[in-house]
This record gives sequence, structure tokens and C-alpha cells, in this order.
Amino acid sequence: MLVLHGLQSFNADSVFLGALAERGLAFAAPALPGFGGTPRPEQFDGVEDLVMSCLDLIDDLGPEPIALVGLSFGGWIAAEIAVRCPHRLERLVLVDALGIRVNSRETPDILHLFNEPAPVVAHATWAAPAHAPDFAAMPDEAVVTYARNREALCRYGWRPYMHNPRLKRWLHRISVPTLVLWGDQDGIVSPDYGRAYADAIPGARFELVGNAGHHPEIEQPQLLAAAIAAFLTQAQRREVA
Amino acid sequence: MQAWYICEAPYPFIDRAVIDAHGSARANLPSRYCDPRRAADIFHEVLDEFLLCDELGINVISNEHHSGINCLHSASPLFLGILARQTRNVRILSLGTLITVRDDPVRVAEEYATADVISRGRLDIGFVKSGGSEMASGNANPVGINERFWEAIDLIEAALRHRDGPFSWEGRHFHHRHANVWPSCWQNPHPPFWAATGDPETGRELGRRGYVHTVFASGAERTIRAWDAYREGSSEMGRSAALDRFAYMGFTYVGETDEEAWEVARQLLWFLEVGDIAAPHYSSLLPGQIPPEVAPKLYRAAQAADEVAHAGRPPQGRTPMTVQDAIARGIMFAGNPDTVRRQIADFHAKVGGFGHLVLMGRSGMMTHAQTETSIRLFGREVLPRLQELAPRLVA
Repeated sequence: MLVLHGLQSFNADSVFLGALAERGLAFAAPALPGFGGTPRPEQFDGVEDLVMSCLDLIDDLGPEPIALVGLSFGGWIAAEIAVRCPHRLERLVLVDALGIRVNSRETPDILHLFNEPAPVVAHATWAAPAHAPDFAAMPDEAVVTYARNREALCRYGWRPYMHNPRLKRWLHRISVPTLVLWGDQDGIVSPDYGRAYADAIPGARFELVGNAGHHPEIEQPQLLAAAIAAFLTQAQRREVA
Repeated sequence: MQAWYICEAPYPFIDRAVIDAHGSARANLPSRYCDPRRAADIFHEVLDEFLLCDELGINVISNEHHSGINCLHSASPLFLGILARQTRNVRILSLGTLITVRDDPVRVAEEYATADVISRGRLDIGFVKSGGSEMASGNANPVGINERFWEAIDLIEAALRHRDGPFSWEGRHFHHRHANVWPSCWQNPHPPFWAATGDPETGRELGRRGYVHTVFASGAERTIRAWDAYREGSSEMGRSAALDRFAYMGFTYVGETDEEAWEVARQLLWFLEVGDIAAPHYSSLLPGQIPPEVAPKLYRAAQAADEVAHAGRPPQGRTPMTVQDAIARGIMFAGNPDTVRRQIADFHAKVGGFGHLVLMGRSGMMTHAQTETSIRLFGREVLPRLQELAPRLVA
């Protein structure tokens, strides 16, 4: 299984990744190039570069189809991979994924993370404000990584803003079982956007994660890991909320 | 020494409370706060000030900024078009079109070539990077602007230089398969190039390229550092940099007496105190504007300020700079003609000389009459006496 992180790379002590491991899932969760302190190849400047580097990585994981999980920005990349190479996938999970355009041309789908005041972004991001990063309490190194991640995100996703205008019309190519999970209080991309995403993928199932904003992996790590594990192991379906 | 006059045509008629409520004087302030009749008055006054400069032998500068009260000139080429026809004598510098937010530099080259021809070869072309607020209003990626800046300049230079029919450009940031600028520019191969920056790395590249390097109101120490970097760049190319490669921009007001000048010059500081206000998400928190290494300090400061605002407490304001502070720091020249000449001579000596003085001559609530008084006094009583300034080598 390959897990692609969201707006920020995973911390070493990620509760969510720990919860996946506890459920017996074997996975790789690499930092995307330019995130998490990893170097960005000088020519990398678009999501297409990240998609191709992930395809290289999938080839390295071996010939067997894999499960692919993408969160937020990583969900966009996961969807791009899935429309290109559905045969390399066994299952697909998208969590509060970015990447498509749903509404009218004057109605932004995705809150602008860089052009809005920090308190507005924080309010839209978190179900519980206590989950927002506290820069005063973080070590310097962690704040620098956080800023580098934002810089990488901005470089890759500024225009068209956090989506590929062509992606939605190719989502029909995704031929593997797909689960779309969404924080019920996500103000960055709304649950309705998530429903539209799921509707565009043949047979995809949509589920809400209760008491979570844009980062269920931080606000509800156990619930999210349980939902993913259940889907991947085809255990009995249950409501996450 | 050449003198250049610049006025950004600010729109100072907005209550400070409105600006504070939006957190910015730029980018997000609704344009319903702009009365187009007042804006028209400002445009006409400023154009008349430029024409007065034309009579007095003071060159003029057109610039642009976007979506804010600091500068109503939203498109430098538009004003170049007016100045190219209405002035008759002086040189006209565009400093400049914000090329990092323009999608097609070839169009910028066309506009510049046109202004150069209308003015019969009196155009100088300056390049500036954009501020963070303009990345938002120009929908331009704030990450990677340096690279885009240089490629845009290279393409503009190529578009002005090529005279043999269409040429092709397939660069990293710009793609134009059939560039063929008409009219060809008057000056050959193209008008002189300038740039404005305080950043030493950019300054070094300007030195390699031999463009005129403008430093804006930075005081002696930072100016020396910036121009040292330029000289290093020149040396790398086996050249030494002549004084006409250096321009310094200072807030300038000349009055009949020191007291009167200092009173009016207070308004020039509006530029820094109000016109420059940009919310953190258009400045310190915007990716690409600061190196991530300084993020701990800036992110924590922004978080603390948000907490203060959330608690309903007033923000901690900066102590306003006084006119005397500004003069002492070398960012302002103000007083009677003798005083101003002496201040400029002192600064000139401190930084090792420069060939161009740029006067930021009107800001805040300064009136048209006050501005014209200053321009006349400068042109008649200061400028003729600046020609005797000799450069002194900086140790």
C-alpha cells in the first residue's frame, strides 16, 4: 500500500500511520519531492512531476497491484495516478482530496490557503481549533519543515489553483473499488465536493468522517485508519461517523 | 548627475480604520472605497507635475502597482503612452511594468517599443519584481519569481533586439513561437535597461548585465552593500561600474524654509506608514517571499498577533518615523534648497557616488501646489548645483 500525504508531510510520530500499522497494513508513506525536508529536483515544478515520480515508486514496489491512499493534495496525485494506471491498483482511497473542479467559474471549490488570512484558513481547516499547529510550541526545525512544505505546495499547486481542469473528465477510467472519505466539517473542500468526486468515479462509495475538518488523519486518526483498513480487507462495512 | 521624479499617485482618502479592518492597503481593499472623480483629479495633477519636470529638465519615472491605495498607476505602459507624447524634452523611465505578473513578456516589449517610438527615443526601461500582495492580485505564483523575472527580461530583450522577422522562444516559463515586435524600437538595439532591488544577489546579476541599479530609500549601509554586490558582478565580466550605473531613490521635499519643508515632508512618510501596509498572508507568510529558515520567527509573530486580535486588544503599532529620523537615515532629503543640496552631497559622499537621483516627491495628503513648489525649487536651485558633486571612493 502507498499512502500519499496531504498539505503537510507526515510527522515521524504520526498517530494515523501508527494506527494503520497496528491494523497489520504494510505501507510506504514517502514525503513527496520537496516536502518533509526532501530535495526537490530542480526541474520539478508541477503536479505532473509528482505523479510521474510516484509511478516510478509504484514500479519499484513490484509487479503486484497495490492499494493507493491519498489525502488532500496527495489525494489529487492519487486520482491522477488512478486515471493513468488503473491496472496497477487494487483499491483506491481518497480522503478530502483536491484536484478537480466542480462549481461554476465564479464559485471557488477550494479555499485559497495562501491568499486568505491565517485565522480564516485555520477556522476552515479544523473541526477542533486545538488541532491547529502551535508554532510557539513546535521546535524550530519543525516550523522550517512546515514552511518548506507550504512553499512546495504553492509551487506545485498555485495555478490552476490546486486542481487539474482535465482530471474530472477522466475519472471514469478508474476501474478499481474506490472509497472517498471526507471530514464532515471540512471547510477547505466541502463534503459536497467530495460527493461530486465520488459520483465521477464509477462505483465509488462516499463516507463522512465525523468531527473532522480537512485533516481526518490528525483529528480522527483511529476512525480513519479503521475505515481504510475495513475497506482494504473487505471487512464488514460500517459507518464511520 | 541626472535627476528623476517619481510619484506613485497614491489615494490617501481612506480612513485608517477601514485599512486596519482589512489588514491591508493593497490587494483586498474593496474598490468601492475609490471615488473615480477623486482618482481622476490625482491622475491629472500628477501628469501636470510630470510636465513641469519636463520644463525644468527633471526626467520622469512611471511605475505601477496593483489593487491598492499606495499607487493608482495600475499599468505603467499606459502612462508611458501619455508621457511619451506630452513631454518633449526629458527622458522617461518605466520602473517598471511588473513583469513577474504579466503572462506574455512579448506584449510588454511591444508596449515599450511603442512608447520609445512615440517619444522619439526618450524611453528607459526598468525591471522590478512584484511584492507579495501583487502575487495575489496578479494571480502569479509567488514561488520561483526570480527565475521568471530573469526569463521575462531575457525575452523582452530578445523581442526588442530581433529585427529580422519572427523568432521563437520556448523557455521554461514563457512560450512564444512567433514573436515579431512592431514598431521596432527607436533606440538600437533597445532602450537602456534599469532595475530596482535591494537584494545583493539580484544586484550582482545586474552588475554582470550592466543595467542601472536603483536602490530605494535604504540608507547608506544597505546601499553600499547592494552596490558592492553590483561591482562584484561587473568585475566578473571584466568591467568596472561607472557612476551612471547607480541610482538612489529618496523621499524628497524642497521648501522655502527648513521648517516649512519638514512640515510638508511629514506627508511623504505616509508611503511607509500606510501605503505599505500588507497583511501577513500577502507578505511574511506568503511562500516564496521569505526563506523557510526564518519561518519560526515570522510564523510565531503572526500567530501571536492573531491571538492579540482575537482577544480584541489593539495591535502593537510601529512607532512612526519622524522626518528627522528619515533624514538622519538617508532615506529622505528635505529642507530649504541649501539644506537639501547638502543632505544629498553628504549621502553621495557616504556611498561613494551615484549618477542618478530619484526623487519620490509626493505622497499622502500633500497637495498639488506643495508638490509643484518643491519640484520648482529642486529644478531651479538644487539640481544645477548637484553637477559639481565628485565621487569619493568608499574605503
